[in-house]
Amino acid sequence: MKGFTFKEPSELEQASDFLRDGSGGYILAGGTDLVTEMKQGIIEPHLLVSTSQIKEMCNIEWNQSGVKIGSMVTLSDIANSESMKIKLKSLVQATGSIATPQIRNIATLGGNLCQRPRCWYYRNSRFDCLKKGGAKCFAVGGSDKYHAILGGHSCYIVHPSDSGTALVALNAKVEIYRKSQRIIIPIVDFFTGPEIDVTRENILEPGDILISIHIPNESMAGSSVFLKAKERKSMDFAIVSVASMVKIENEIISQVGLAVGGVAPVPWKLNTLESKLVGMKKEDVDIESLCSGVFNDAKVMGQNGYKLHLAQTYLERALNLVLANSN
Amino acid sequence: MDSHLTSDRVDMDDNETTTKFIVNGREYSLKIDNRYTLLDILRDHLRLTGAKKGCDLGECGACTVLLDGKVVNSCQILAARIKDKDIRTVEGLSQNETLHPLQLAFIENDGGQCGYCTPGFIMAAYPLFESEEELSTEEIKLSLAGNLCRCNAYGSIIDSVAYALEIKTNE
Amino acid sequence: MSEQSTHTPAVGTSYIRTDLEGKVLGTAEYTADIALPNMLHARVLRSPHPHANILGIEIGSATKLDGVFDVLTPFNVPEGKVAPDVPILDSRVRFVGDEVAVVAAVDIDQAKAAIDLIEVCYEVLPFSTNVHDSLNSASFPIHSEGNLVNGGPLIESRGSIKEGFDQADYVVEDSFTTPDHHPASLEPRAALASWDGTRLTVWKPSRGIHADKNILASALGLSPNNIAVVGPAMGAGYGSKDETRTSVMAALLSIRTGRPVKLELDREEEFLAGRRRHSTYTEIKMGLKKDGTITAVHAKTIMDTGAYLSSGPGVVRRAGQGILYLYKCANVKYEGQLVYTNTPTAGSYRALGAPQGHFALESLSDKASEILNMDPLEFRFKNHVGPEGQPGERTTPRNQIIDTQPVEGGVPFSSNELRQCLKLGAEAIGWDRRDYIENAAGPIRRGIGMSMFIYRGGPGGQSNAEISLDQDGLFTLNVGFMDVGEGSSTVVIQMAADTLGIPPAMVRINGGHTDKTPESPMTAGSTLTFSAGHAAMQAAKDLKDAIINASLKLIGLGDSEGLYLTPNGVKSKCGESISFLDIVHNAGPIKTLASVTPGSKDYIVNSFGAHFAEIEVDTETGHIEIIKYIAVHDSGRIINPRLAEGQVRGGVSQMMGFTFLEDMEIDPHSGVALNASFLEHKSPTIMEYPEIEVIFADSIDPIGPFGAKSLGEPPCIAPAPTIANALYHATGVRINDLPLTPDSVLLAMKNLL
Repeated sequence: MKGFTFKEPSELEQASDFLRDGSGGYILAGGTDLVTEMKQGIIEPHLLVSTSQIKEMCNIEWNQSGVKIGSMVTLSDIANSESMKIKLKSLVQATGSIATPQIRNIATLGGNLCQRPRCWYYRNSRFDCLKKGGAKCFAVGGSDKYHAILGGHSCYIVHPSDSGTALVALNAKVEIYRKSQRIIIPIVDFFTGPEIDVTRENILEPGDILISIHIPNESMAGSSVFLKAKERKSMDFAIVSVASMVKIENEIISQVGLAVGGVAPVPWKLNTLESKLVGMKKEDVDIESLCSGVFNDAKVMGQNGYKLHLAQTYLERALNLVLANSN
Repeated sequence: MDSHLTSDRVDMDDNETTTKFIVNGREYSLKIDNRYTLLDILRDHLRLTGAKKGCDLGECGACTVLLDGKVVNSCQILAARIKDKDIRTVEGLSQNETLHPLQLAFIENDGGQCGYCTPGFIMAAYPLFESEEELSTEEIKLSLAGNLCRCNAYGSIIDSVAYALEIKTNE
Repeated sequence: MSEQSTHTPAVGTSYIRTDLEGKVLGTAEYTADIALPNMLHARVLRSPHPHANILGIEIGSATKLDGVFDVLTPFNVPEGKVAPDVPILDSRVRFVGDEVAVVAAVDIDQAKAAIDLIEVCYEVLPFSTNVHDSLNSASFPIHSEGNLVNGGPLIESRGSIKEGFDQADYVVEDSFTTPDHHPASLEPRAALASWDGTRLTVWKPSRGIHADKNILASALGLSPNNIAVVGPAMGAGYGSKDETRTSVMAALLSIRTGRPVKLELDREEEFLAGRRRHSTYTEIKMGLKKDGTITAVHAKTIMDTGAYLSSGPGVVRRAGQGILYLYKCANVKYEGQLVYTNTPTAGSYRALGAPQGHFALESLSDKASEILNMDPLEFRFKNHVGPEGQPGERTTPRNQIIDTQPVEGGVPFSSNELRQCLKLGAEAIGWDRRDYIENAAGPIRRGIGMSMFIYRGGPGGQSNAEISLDQDGLFTLNVGFMDVGEGSSTVVIQMAADTLGIPPAMVRINGGHTDKTPESPMTAGSTLTFSAGHAAMQAAKDLKDAIINASLKLIGLGDSEGLYLTPNGVKSKCGESISFLDIVHNAGPIKTLASVTPGSKDYIVNSFGAHFAEIEVDTETGHIEIIKYIAVHDSGRIINPRLAEGQVRGGVSQMMGFTFLEDMEIDPHSGVALNASFLEHKSPTIMEYPEIEVIFADSIDPIGPFGAKSLGEPPCIAPAPTIANALYHATGVRINDLPLTPDSVLLAMKNLL
């Protein structure tokens, strides 16, 4: 690790200023991913800007349109929130399934969304891979068991964020501070795949700060579920995950959100399946037949073909659960 | 005091932090290189070596301590982030040679083999001991899910924590 | 009734682990916890190439860096050897992570900065990351003698397999692979060395401080008398922490700088430069008669030993033990090849080659039972080796101690309760209901499987123990072995105390310092309790006699009959007594040293056992849940039930990694270990821990100390085949390749493996 300066501003503008020149400063949220990357020599910040003193980033605010979760709210605060257990089950399940109790106590929602991939070539400083500005993707023709079956382009990482998968299915929005302005965009547009820019996973530019995550009332009115397949029952990232949200009104599916994690460089929204389901009568839903073919576009690599079957199974199970829970 | 923290090198004020914090009820003030973690400070500077460096990446829990009452991996907490924090380590558990019930329980139930994970497990279990709730075995396991035991003494560890909780109920 | 009979035996009780208090207080001192004044910190530069010659190293910029005291390279170290194929530093590197140079500096950050300034000129060589490439005739030799160790396999046989297969009505065969998982002890390797001008002291986690001392002496060209090795508390090794390049490098830096030097490996280095388990590919064949008798067993195993030899020969031999000896059979042959690859070195990891060998053997046995239309348990009952041993002629001369890993027939076991283990386990799991298990509708399938094992263990090499009655009236046991966390110190105290006839609380143990303890073997091959136990018992018996003799003179009695020890001293049946303190004040402290080479000329001493498991398989996700696990062990007399149970539960749980999760992933194009971390090399967490019922067979071994046999490693042998057999029963799908990760199981369910 190289030495670095530490700043802890109390205003968004200050924080943004420190980072805007793009010369190698990073935001320090919980630090559970950042500090690891620093210790492994993947990044060498000369400046860390802590956002833990920026009040609006640290609060949960329930208002008329829904809930606004500050990006500095910890994963355990979300997972333990009684109101969220009722209204945002999938988000509680997702955040509660991440890593370990120790990590959840300091890791933040924003940090979880912005964390870098776990690809073992990316995480190893011996490989100068495409994502790090190098010339090739070593997973291609290499050890690709944990790599993408969808949306891979030149790079085949899978997005590691469970909260991202859950929030995409909840049709969440993110509020970003950029050049003294605030912009609010759908979370599905926050994430970017390698075809846009292989060196990053979201649209944040130097100086941008992810302020908060907004979930609308409509997404909280139905039922939601998050299922995560792992190799170990603790610590592991998802090998496949599925987040689903469904709202039934008068026996008709009026809202639906479906996203798959662990299969693509971004949380993978199932737009086609969602549009099929909206407007359907709940009793008419034949899950198996509706879900067949959902992953027809998948491109399996050398060792990750199991993800196809796992994603199919978890998708069907998640839909089953969320429909059964919606009354 | 270990020499490597008061190095006779070029002054790096910009890359250092001066911070006040509490460990096991005692107040400290340090000027320290920003790169150091709470684990480094505990082990090298304060010579409290109960917390162990099993991986330094937050993947094993051997460095678990309490930070403002919350269970954390001390290797993931940068020096600048401990300002005004109340930190508790395994060394702060026993009072005047009287073992904490958790420590007694681990001895009674053979909760440690090589012992390297033991301080981390005890600290991870501490909030359970403090809480008023009655806990199932599954809930105990979930709270300890961030701590690795390579000797795999998990059975005895679960027994130890359950035993400590029972002692507490019977008090 | 004499007072003698009021001594409550400690053997057989769950006496509390002696060193546990320090561990729960956080005051137990491990190597990395020790700091000495003026201590320097060392850091290793490791090879980025899987195979290369180092043509030159430029260390000028590194040595000039502020706070850097020394840099070792292959070109400036003495020519000593750490192991026959491992010089202190070598100008040939053989895996990614192999040591190239070492820096000592005031702190670890300066050491790392200096590492970055070292320039190395490599001549990259062709490399191989798997045994098939290594064995290819065109492959580049990793060591001068070629990639197949000894140029050919280890071959062990009894009878004639040709005859055996000729007699067979059926032949069943298959091939199996096992992974190269890592022990990944929670404490990474470390060493602290301090040279005071004439004497070297080294603190390091060790399972054999005397052996380590001798290696340091020979590598550095020092007299062993000028070296002290101290074993602090040890964060386990599971057989493999005797790697002394770490301590030799630290020692050399200390000698050259005149300051203490600490070298701590980080987690990635522990994975790379530690010792993994040998991965294997085994082809195994069994000949069977219609009535279920086994007529021949033939197995060929190829083991990947990585870049260096380490304990490979012992491991490849151990992989044949089950194949050669578990089933009663006149005709058996085992061929074990040990092959170099440019990957992290493999070494000893709990139970050595036995888990690998038994996985193949016990999986095939279930296959054999199916061909015979026989219940797998019945198959074991019919064919397991009995107390009388294997058929055939004894070849070891009658006046020689029998090897605990024999091939010969005609020698009985000192004790063999395998049959009892099978019965107890079958009853505990409810084997009777196996054929009637009902599966609910849906993807979940339930099954029950079992396997059994044999393991050497017991007699090791010569073992020494010293015991004394001290000035304070208490006793001290000095043994040169290390309690690596398995409780050997506690167990040996119990044995010594019972031999003396005093409470174990009166016996202290001094391990861990070569100056203060007699020569002792390593804590290895489950031999410790046996060898050290016998030595401690002998020393205790001799001390008891010496104390009684001293008392005789002091009390003024004629003969020793009727004199016995109590917690307070020596008493005579006539009621006369003298306290230990008085004995010591008059006769001085009394000390005895015993040296034993335990073993038997008449019997083989082996441990046995059988494991049973009931599992549930989600055939749509590949996840396996263990519903019930029963581990039955014949390890003779159980000296300390709680510690013993801990060893069994721990060993079974640890091998859930081998069975389900762990495998070192080496990138084939670069030789880089991709998962050298706790996150990616997936060791079981508490959430994986299954409920394990431990049953000890009723068994007292006539040779073992207090009747005990080995227990440290046996629990690791049966888990994998037990689960694989249960998986087959549950789903009709047999998987021959470990680990049974969800993706493997899922693809196998879909017939896509």
